[in-house]
Amino acid sequence: MSESLNELGVLERPEASTPLGWLFWVCVGWLTLNVLAAIFANVLPLVDPLYQNYNVVNAGPSLHHLLGTDDLGRDIFSRIVFGSRVSIAVGVGAMLIGFGIGAPLGMLAAYRRGRFDTIVTTVMYVFLAFPAIVAVIAVLSFWTPRSLLKIILVIGLASVPLVYRVIRTATMAIATKDFVIAAKVQGATDRRILIKELLPNIAPIGVSFLLIGIATVVTLEGALAFLGLSVNPPTPSWGNMINESRTVMSQNPWLVLFPSLALCLFLLCLNFIGDRLRSHFDVTEVKL
Amino acid sequence: MSEVPLLEVRELSVTFETAGGPLPAVSGVSFTVGPNETLGIVGESGSGKTVLARSIMGLQPRARVTTTGSVRLNGSETVGASETELRRLWSTEVAMIFQDPMTALNPVMRVGKQIDETLRVRLGMSRPAAKARAIELLEMVGIPSPAQRYNAYPGQLSGGMRQRVVIAAALACTPKLLLADEPTTGLDVTIQAQILNLLDDLKDRLHMSVVLITHDLGVVATRTSHLAVMYAGRIVEFGATRDVFAHHRMPYTRALLESSPRVANPSHTRLAAIPGRPPNLLTLGEGCAFAPRCAYANDRCHVERPPLSAPDAAGHSFACWNPLSEESR
Repeated sequence: MSESLNELGVLERPEASTPLGWLFWVCVGWLTLNVLAAIFANVLPLVDPLYQNYNVVNAGPSLHHLLGTDDLGRDIFSRIVFGSRVSIAVGVGAMLIGFGIGAPLGMLAAYRRGRFDTIVTTVMYVFLAFPAIVAVIAVLSFWTPRSLLKIILVIGLASVPLVYRVIRTATMAIATKDFVIAAKVQGATDRRILIKELLPNIAPIGVSFLLIGIATVVTLEGALAFLGLSVNPPTPSWGNMINESRTVMSQNPWLVLFPSLALCLFLLCLNFIGDRLRSHFDVTEVKL
Repeated sequence: MSEVPLLEVRELSVTFETAGGPLPAVSGVSFTVGPNETLGIVGESGSGKTVLARSIMGLQPRARVTTTGSVRLNGSETVGASETELRRLWSTEVAMIFQDPMTALNPVMRVGKQIDETLRVRLGMSRPAAKARAIELLEMVGIPSPAQRYNAYPGQLSGGMRQRVVIAAALACTPKLLLADEPTTGLDVTIQAQILNLLDDLKDRLHMSVVLITHDLGVVATRTSHLAVMYAGRIVEFGATRDVFAHHRMPYTRALLESSPRVANPSHTRLAAIPGRPPNLLTLGEGCAFAPRCAYANDRCHVERPPLSAPDAAGHSFACWNPLSEESR
């Protein structure tokens, strides 16, 4: 079929791919804004996120306080901007560690199989069987003084077995395909097969899991903050803002709404961008 | 076959360890393929054709598989060879075409790249030289506007085009032997003949030998010099293709021939299907594996396995206690 279409010139542009669309660029813009705000929070004309103004406690949005104030009279907008620093750093940082260790191990194990696979998989499954959250809490409780870097490291390491399992399974589905055997028979080295044959094929699964992972870690940081195991209050993060607000939710629903919205929009944009990029670069299906 | 054989298979047996016991997928298979010869291997699904091809390549996994016998490729043994040794043979001595062109190409790599990777790795070509050669190869296998198709992804090509790319990639380093494992099974009937004719043509141009594995007798009839009929992991009849078609002795070969349609038959002739099912390799008895489905079987057939006879003057051999004579055909 596609041959005759070729003759008609329909497929003459082999690069024709799904357009990214305006919503994609809105999402990119929003994420850029988020990241820039996090980086330049200090120089932006914002109220001190720790300044407590007891004259306006639990206020709704107003011109003075764009998103209102919390129960201690702190500016929510300012706290969301400063909170994004911790949330983005923990989410992205921890997942980079998780993927940096888990993904290469998973790919290698699935491709090499044999004893290497057995040993690594057994070790990972032992870690998986142990509730990661308990381990994270235990380590963070005793490893003082806490710092952002330690939190990132501990959550990152705790995510390694999960990443390993997902990547290993995804790789195994590809590694037995004929084209991998064909590449090997045609002289490709193991490293070449891993990087050129397997990696591009599992990348879509990896990226979507990465994005979900970031979302999960950002909320996990909130849960840790609630237990007093994340960055020390009063330093804000999206997670600890949501957690703190639970006690005053009935008097001041804005307090839980805005940080949740910030988190939600951040993740929504990440997922949407990931999805659009995937279909934009998807070459496995003919597009007419 | 007077010269040194390019491929020499001696008493090759491949047994899988399964939960149900040892499964003999290939048992005591021997044959040779000389330079510029085409050997056809026919048999039903599950007769061991693909396992045989993979064992010749040395691609059979080692875990839970026992391979005995000998496979010599241009003098080099592949049974039990290390991967380093095999890598020296692959693509320059022997190459393989896989059954399904849909899975034999990496879906996310441009087809041209999949060909010139081989050229760069195995022949040490520079990028521009490899690209130029890859485009030549695409042209050789009959792909129109090869320079543009070089940049296409497999998903943008039809099945026939993909199989042409697979062939181009396999032939990139001009192997002396090409194993084609059901190269046309995944293709439309109209494309099948094109691909087979292409293989035939390339075989002469590149002076290769070809082992053509198929379940379709029509495919091997005119395109092979020799023919091996496999049943339940064994070769049951072997000879020059013409000879096997005209003077087959083994009832299974006859059954196979009768189950393919003929133009000469009057219309609405029912095809003679082979009764019963291929045997379960786990529960093969002592007798001939085909005996339960064979119209000529007698008591001896069920208790004693017929060996492959010594080849006659024409090189024709068969494994049967009650071979068909000229009259009974």
